[in-house]
Amino acid sequence: MDKTNILAALKKNAMLIVLVLVYLFFMILTQGGIFEPSSFTELINQNAYVFILGCGMLMCMLTGGNIDLSCGSFVCLVSAIGGIFMIVSGLGTGVSILLLLLIGVVYGCILGFLIAYIHIPPWIATLAGYLAFRGLGTFILSSNSTTGSLAPFPADFRNIFYGKIFPTEKGIFNIPCFVFGLVAAAIVLLTIFWTRRNRIKKGYEADTFGKAAIKGGLSAAVIILVMSRLAMDGGIPTTLLWVAGIVLIYSFITSKTTIGRHFYVVGGNIEAARLSGVNTKRIMFIAYLNMAVLTTIATMPVIARSNSAYANLGKNFEMDAISACVVGGVSASGGAGSVLGMVIGATLIGVINLGMSLISLDANYQRVVKGFVLLAAVVFDIVSKKKQK
Amino acid sequence: MSENVKKAPGFRQNMTAFMQKYKVGAFFQKYTMLIALVVVTIVFANWPGKQGLILLPPNITGLIAENAYVFVLATGMLMCILTGGNIDLSVGSVVCFSGAVGCTLMAQGVNIWITVLIMLAIGLLIGIFQGFWIAKLHVPAFIATLAGMYAFRGFTNVVMNGLRVDITNETFLNMFGSGKGSYIPDFIRSSNEAINGWFTKDNTTLVNLIGENYITKFNLTCMIFGLAAVIIFILMRVRKILIQRRLGISQSVPGQIISMVLIAAVMVWLFFQLSCYRGMPMVLIWIGLILGIYQYITTKTAMGRHLYAVGGNEKATALSGVKTRNVYWFAYANIGLLAGLAGILTAARGKGIDPTYGEGYEMDAIAACFIGGASAYGGTGKVSGMIIGALLMGVINKGMIIIGVDANFQKVVKGIVLLLAVMFDVMSKRQKR
Repeated sequence: MDKTNILAALKKNAMLIVLVLVYLFFMILTQGGIFEPSSFTELINQNAYVFILGCGMLMCMLTGGNIDLSCGSFVCLVSAIGGIFMIVSGLGTGVSILLLLLIGVVYGCILGFLIAYIHIPPWIATLAGYLAFRGLGTFILSSNSTTGSLAPFPADFRNIFYGKIFPTEKGIFNIPCFVFGLVAAAIVLLTIFWTRRNRIKKGYEADTFGKAAIKGGLSAAVIILVMSRLAMDGGIPTTLLWVAGIVLIYSFITSKTTIGRHFYVVGGNIEAARLSGVNTKRIMFIAYLNMAVLTTIATMPVIARSNSAYANLGKNFEMDAISACVVGGVSASGGAGSVLGMVIGATLIGVINLGMSLISLDANYQRVVKGFVLLAAVVFDIVSKKKQK
Repeated sequence: MSENVKKAPGFRQNMTAFMQKYKVGAFFQKYTMLIALVVVTIVFANWPGKQGLILLPPNITGLIAENAYVFVLATGMLMCILTGGNIDLSVGSVVCFSGAVGCTLMAQGVNIWITVLIMLAIGLLIGIFQGFWIAKLHVPAFIATLAGMYAFRGFTNVVMNGLRVDITNETFLNMFGSGKGSYIPDFIRSSNEAINGWFTKDNTTLVNLIGENYITKFNLTCMIFGLAAVIIFILMRVRKILIQRRLGISQSVPGQIISMVLIAAVMVWLFFQLSCYRGMPMVLIWIGLILGIYQYITTKTAMGRHLYAVGGNEKATALSGVKTRNVYWFAYANIGLLAGLAGILTAARGKGIDPTYGEGYEMDAIAACFIGGASAYGGTGKVSGMIIGALLMGVINKGMIIIGVDANFQKVVKGIVLLLAVMFDVMSKRQKR
């Protein structure tokens, strides 16, 4: 490997390197606190919404840098309605979840229709929702409880979104969790080599064997490390399964399905996409319908964790989701970005969130830090693209 | 269509002909929001149990004072929106940040005029900073200002330690606030005993004109100032009509005269209401000054016209020699400056700053612009339209408070009004194409 190769590799994985550096930085600041088993569980539970909303935001941004500002407020509204269903009216957990998803679908259809077919600029349509849903959510909460919050949620609901699978005592090594990690690591390793073989067979450019080995080995090592730390904290959190499931599904959709590729095409050049027969309006519609449904899903682990619905729930979530995408290399003008990149971005946001709360940094400084991380990421994206041209 | 013409003209044809001759459709399209403003006001004024409350002099004055920040911020927002539907989400946080710094400085005894300058400078610097990213590095405006929105809200809390800071400086409160002292005193009545003598309950002519409740407190200075403003307005309009005739620009003269008379009547009524309650508020002077300056900038200066040109077609504008990126920079530096001013007004009105002040202000400003007919894609929009938009939002807010709608529900209504206004704009544009 010569010098330019190393530089290219560094540049390609810049955010990954930043992630490692930030992690090490907090490792020193918290004197290892961020490496405690409980921190790993917390990282996943605290930031599940970033990953789930990030997937939805990614799809919106792919279509041309469009965003959804309303998701944070919609989380508040969904949590308030969820509280009404499960706490006030005592509906069953399954029925409540289905009804909430239905509300997500209805909002998504309205939003998608306004944006795709009436051509309302997305940030205006969602800015209206940003204001209206926060008001509506607060209104529902304050008219149904004297304290302005609804709690506690039923235990079975919390177990689905905030429980552990095959739980054991803390500190006792959880075998199923570790086995799960080994299996996942093996699958990742096999996929990387299998993809490489396929590419070579079809005559595409592929990684060298050494590069693939490094990539696969590192990924497998990280997975096993994370899972063995989680095993020391009582087992696999159910939140992890939800997050992993959604991330895998969207990774598949964006890379392997026609509809997924259409998102990139629309974001690259909407006019060209339309002329080559892509139903661009439908793509925009699906992007926002999908966002609303994912927002509803993201609400579940959030309220299961907080165990109450309150007026400030979901504040700034849109910011975290947008940051995760932009930090993860999703282009602010659309057409470029991957789920894997978004996951790295979300993890970075998550590590910053967790690290700052571990050193109990003032919440206000947290906002400042996040604002600048977002700005720095966008500038990095734009400047690095300019150089390519 | 051609077959219909041969038939004897029915009611429908007569109506169509009438509407085409007097451009009724165009009139409604042009003045939709003005009509909406009148209708909404009438609805609130006739609300069962609250009849006429919204038109009482204290409520009129309150409406202006409460919405001062909307007028100021919406003026800045309009410039940004003109450049192509770009917005500034950070204004609410910048208002609070400039207010926080100002209040903290005043609490430490810094001279108020220096403080005012510092507050404006902070706004301007933030505007230049954000404008740099947007104009020079092509960062999408909503992302750059979203980052600013969070960062400056955070900075505000850092400056204030999350606590409220009060203002005790009377001069500052009187100059920019809306308390009892911040009205222009009636120096005509106080300096002239003879004139002052007219305003008693025995003077039946004046009692019939003004009403018994307000006769003794009636602010003559404000009324005279208002009448002078109306006369200047009429003269300017007449001059415009004469110039148009000389240049042969076809504009319906009766229509212009009707609108002139209506606006003059509303102005007279407004100043009369103000005179009945304490007189001319200082904030109205600031608002009037800002609106006047920006009306001039957008219609008469090269920079103002460049804003429209960039919003209409950026490439064509760049090719005709305009440095388009500098136009963006101007728009964002400008809204920063105005956010600094809005911070001054907000701090003075609240007699201090809370860390939560300014939340949602960006929304009000954006809504005022869109309701006032600015296009969400840039290139069209006027200061006068924005004024109507801001007034409509103000009347809706005030009306909902008067009839006792829950504060949270008011947010919902605002969101819906914004959405409807943009929908109306987008759909009516599509019909034209």
